[in-house]
Amino acid sequence: MPHRIFSCSSQCCLARKAKIMGKTILRILLRKFARVIAILVGATLIMFLLMHAIPGNPWGNYSSSPRMMLGMYIDKSTQLALSHHFGLDLPLWRQFTRYILGDFEKDGSFTCGVVCGNLGPSIQQRGRTVQAVLFEPPKGMTFWESRFGYSIRLVLFGSLIAVGLGIPLGILSAAKSKSVISRIISVGLAALISIPNFVLGLLAIIVLASWLKLIRVLPDWSNPSNWIIPAFVLAVMPMASIARVMRASLMNILSEDYVRTARAKGLTRTRVMLVHVMRNALVPMITFLGPTLMEMFTGLFIVESLYSFPGFGREYWKAVLSLDYPMIMGLTLLYATGIVLVFVLIDVLCAILDPRIRSVKQRGAV
Amino acid sequence: MMMFFPWKRALRKKTVWFSLIVMLALGMVAAFAPWLAPHDPYQWSLVGAHSSLPPMWVNNPFKPGLAIYPLGTDNYGRDVLSRLIFGTRTAFFLALTAVPLAAFIGTLVGLISGYAGGRLDAAIMLFSDMIQSLPGIMFLVIIVLIFRSMLSPSWLHGLITLVIGFAAVSWVGLARQIRINVMLIKSQLFVEAAVGLGASPLFVITQHLFPNVLHVILVWIINNIPAVILLEAVLGYIGVGVTSAIDGGEFTVTSWGGMFFSGRSALSRNPLMLMIPSLCILLISMSFILLGDFLNETTRQEQE
Repeated sequence: MPHRIFSCSSQCCLARKAKIMGKTILRILLRKFARVIAILVGATLIMFLLMHAIPGNPWGNYSSSPRMMLGMYIDKSTQLALSHHFGLDLPLWRQFTRYILGDFEKDGSFTCGVVCGNLGPSIQQRGRTVQAVLFEPPKGMTFWESRFGYSIRLVLFGSLIAVGLGIPLGILSAAKSKSVISRIISVGLAALISIPNFVLGLLAIIVLASWLKLIRVLPDWSNPSNWIIPAFVLAVMPMASIARVMRASLMNILSEDYVRTARAKGLTRTRVMLVHVMRNALVPMITFLGPTLMEMFTGLFIVESLYSFPGFGREYWKAVLSLDYPMIMGLTLLYATGIVLVFVLIDVLCAILDPRIRSVKQRGAV
Repeated sequence: MMMFFPWKRALRKKTVWFSLIVMLALGMVAAFAPWLAPHDPYQWSLVGAHSSLPPMWVNNPFKPGLAIYPLGTDNYGRDVLSRLIFGTRTAFFLALTAVPLAAFIGTLVGLISGYAGGRLDAAIMLFSDMIQSLPGIMFLVIIVLIFRSMLSPSWLHGLITLVIGFAAVSWVGLARQIRINVMLIKSQLFVEAAVGLGASPLFVITQHLFPNVLHVILVWIINNIPAVILLEAVLGYIGVGVTSAIDGGEFTVTSWGGMFFSGRSALSRNPLMLMIPSLCILLISMSFILLGDFLNETTRQEQE
């Protein structure tokens, strides 16, 4: 149907075309938005059901903590009162809607849930809400000093390293694909992917801290030079996989006919590489970059506990072990939001970079 | 698979030689573990002060390494070398069960979703998006925590937990790849011809679509075997791996991940306890990655 509308060329028709296109774009955006919301709710629901399936309750789960050894159990009546206070005695579906939408309290007042940005009270860190634990900086500091700010800064630093080293390495090894350097690079990249990142982190501590005395084991994070090692450990695996994907997609494109044509008509190697090859390699690269860089957040769990870094990755781990339900939900939601937003961003970027995708979408084949 | 493997071209490459030799050697080690291991990997020897020994070449005057424990012992006095050798079995078991299981689920879902299209496809994709937007490691940790109370402590059950967890998380990637491939193949003429001749959907899927996505599945399996071994190491390191999936499981299972966990506390005394399993992981995962690279390259050259 839209075909006929787009093919008309008179002035009045163009205005109509723009109007209809605006409408379709609005509809596409609305559908995207609904999908994002559905994914977020579904992901939190899956996590909600799973975490309630973990045996034990938050009050009895001190088996690994010093409280247990000291015999400091929480007695049954207190446990019940605590469960009631945090709403854990409600049926599961009530708890879930209470978390997402909100619920009426006994005195009739309404507390709003996630939809208003209220992530609920943390169970294990008494007296603090989840959003306070995650986003509130210590007194007198900027937002970047909060847990979220610290982790985001580390991940940004790491992605800078991963992209800044990975893409040039991939280009280098693809451009000189038959040389010794390229072979060394590709075997080296395979090796870097195969090392668990905590081993790299421990090696860095042993070699750089205790042998060479280059870094301090308890660094203060106000000094930017201390960030290099954790960011590097975090970035190694994404960097290697980015470089490998870059290399593979470049090799695919380099064997195409139009590249040979461009070389044959006398363009320099650099120009062919930068203009003809890179532009086509960028689209698969960007679709790959998003999930890979998001995986750094999973790497955070390890790196943060290795270097006792004050971010939220360690918080997640602690929350799962001590069954801090609102904390798990909050962090899952944070992570899922990040991933979904990155995927939407990728869609948009690909449409900007590759006109073919855009034209397909306009014809209604979303 | 043996028949389709391009042996002639493969044997000209050093990387393929390397990966085949490593796989064969580690496979032999896994198969003949009881005969190769110098000690029982579960045998404690606290009495003769044989615990926490350094490797045999270390000449510490207080605690010299002993020749009968070539790589030293851990803090319960268990031989590190034997544990390493028996850990190979665990790694192979994981690689040969978890990845095919995930591949099976992913293939099934991908084929159905790609062939059916429409509402069903949209629903499946929405669900896989949900799974994908959860942090993978945490998902796995929670699954391990759920199952570890249900199963009794034995060698197999800790592994089954991890197998289920890995399959539950990682089928999504394969399902997506297969769905896209199926949608491309479905639009080709031979599928239309088959449908026109009256073939049932089951026949089309098994006889036309599945053989055409088989190479995608094989490459995915080869690429994900290192992933599952690495994952086991990471989970072992943070303390919820195969070995500690059940309380007391540390004493009935050996795995490389479990060795990381016990090596973590012995880091200052014997850093090799951490380095040696990671070297094994490095070797095996590199061999699979290089083999995968080679296969990718040959398919690309054949397409040209």
